[in-house]
Amino acid sequence: MLKIENLHVRVAGKEILKGLSLEVKAGEVHAIMGPNGAGKSTLGNVLAGREGYEVTQGSVVYEGRNLLELEPEERAAEGVFLAFQYPVEIPGVNNTYFLRTALNAQRKHRGEAELDSMQFLKRVREKLAVLHLKDELLHRAVNEGFSGGEKKRNEIFQMALLEPKLAILDETDSGLDIDALKMVADGVNAMRSPGRAFVVVTHYQRLLDYIVPDFVHVLADGVIVESGDASLAQKLEEHGYAWIAERKLAGAA
Amino acid sequence: MSAALLEEFGRGDARAREESWRYSKMALRSLAQQDFVAADPQAELPEALRARFDWRETRGRRVVLVNGVVSGRYSDFDDVGAMVTVGETGGAYAVRIDGKVDEPVHIVYVGVPSTQPSRWQADTSMVVVNGFARMIEQHLGVDGAGVLGSVHRRIDLGEGARLDLMSLCDLPESVALYRLLEVRLGAKAALHATHVLLGGRLQRLDMQVELAGEQARLESRGVFALRGRAHADTQLDVRHVARDTVCDIVWRGVADERARGIFHGAITVAAGADGSDAKLSNKNLLLSSSAEIDTQPVLEIYADEVKAAHGATVGQIDERALFYLRSRGIPLVEARRMMVTAFCREVLDGVADADLRERLARRMQAALPADGLQDA
Repeated sequence: MLKIENLHVRVAGKEILKGLSLEVKAGEVHAIMGPNGAGKSTLGNVLAGREGYEVTQGSVVYEGRNLLELEPEERAAEGVFLAFQYPVEIPGVNNTYFLRTALNAQRKHRGEAELDSMQFLKRVREKLAVLHLKDELLHRAVNEGFSGGEKKRNEIFQMALLEPKLAILDETDSGLDIDALKMVADGVNAMRSPGRAFVVVTHYQRLLDYIVPDFVHVLADGVIVESGDASLAQKLEEHGYAWIAERKLAGAA
Repeated sequence: MSAALLEEFGRGDARAREESWRYSKMALRSLAQQDFVAADPQAELPEALRARFDWRETRGRRVVLVNGVVSGRYSDFDDVGAMVTVGETGGAYAVRIDGKVDEPVHIVYVGVPSTQPSRWQADTSMVVVNGFARMIEQHLGVDGAGVLGSVHRRIDLGEGARLDLMSLCDLPESVALYRLLEVRLGAKAALHATHVLLGGRLQRLDMQVELAGEQARLESRGVFALRGRAHADTQLDVRHVARDTVCDIVWRGVADERARGIFHGAITVAAGADGSDAKLSNKNLLLSSSAEIDTQPVLEIYADEVKAAHGATVGQIDERALFYLRSRGIPLVEARRMMVTAFCREVLDGVADADLRERLARRMQAALPADGLQDA
């Protein structure tokens, strides 16, 4: 589904990703862990198509296409979803209107029929229940006045509604209490399916107790330095990231 | 000719006129280089244009002025009693309201071009003696050889009277319009005015409001949304003359492509107008590096115990929010449109009539950014 090869990315003149390679197949859940400043968020932003991220080398192929050529809205319509680390407040734009516009724009792009408001609301109600979000949030402006936890749950709610093929969760666990964390994990687990893949970017192992990944990768200084199964996250929790750095040094010597 | 136009469209002494036209001097000069003939009040209105003002909800209460003269042919006005009087042709007024009128009166000004540049003028007045009135004012134009129109209106609100004025000025780039709106509010009188300015080669709105009676209240909402080479110049001049008077001004401006927008908001609280409350907020959005917006709030206070607040900003669209919308699948043009509409929304929130608010929002949305016009 997604194949990243030797990806080099520059942000504001500074190289952040320095030859990252990663392959994600349909149905898999990959966790990307790493210390602050390793380039975790850069990866999510580059995949979603944010401006200001300059790819200097390497390739990203998604479903057989060059992902980097596509506009952000095209990537979304093709099934790529980024759950933001810092969801943006957009005063004046009604949440329901935003979601319906987004969903129908994606459906239109794929040549599917647009949903009328009854069909749309039915779908919304189903998904809201899973994340224990209040109906009332739909009537507000996008993310405006939402608590930190509500913002993060709203991201997962959007994911549930838009049903992407590839979902990238950028530190969705940060700032969440244990109850909200479980709700987020439930939302993600309910969506796991053979046709869908997840890239879960996180700083802490805690989230991975609830969303058990198939693969764990450690990102340090712009490259993946270690890959393994879910037990790698446990080791990181015990030894800390310094352990990886030491191993890397030992390997280089 | 430029001097003559300045004379006609200005106020105060020569210097004050110069000053108030500072940002629109070039636009005025280019107008002055043309020779205008008198516009034809019998001109035919194209079908597509008629559809833009033929609103179901104002049938029977609509007055249409073609090139400044009340048109019997295009107006649609039932006899609604002695409270509303419609001027016959080119008289000193178009509509006069005395008393309480629940349903809105819809006044449409259309500038229709001739084979060469043409001019029209309308000197109209409206008096609300008592009670409550609602008025929708719509300015439209037909693209062509160029039309310059001017409207001078006086509104006098008697004690306790209230007027809701909704004004949509929606012009093609070949049409120029000068509007002078003079309002005087008596004690406890209230004016709620919403102005929407779209398009126009040069459109200038001079709004002069005198809060003459105690506890008189002005709420002014307005927005210009411009693109192409449109040029809009808004000059508000509010004078608190009596005690405990209130003004609350919220204006927004958006300019795309090579458009030019100007907002000048002056509030004067005269000596003796103690206990007055003056608020002005003006925020603007530049959507292109070739567009320009100038804003200037001016507050002069000569009274005691006055509450006053004012602020003005010019900024750009929030790229983070734009990316957020796009990352969910909303195409760039649509995302920009959503953001711009949201930005202007606060101004329309004050329009009580939901149908009308919807018309305005749609019209405004269609006007920006550049991707084809739709009729309101």
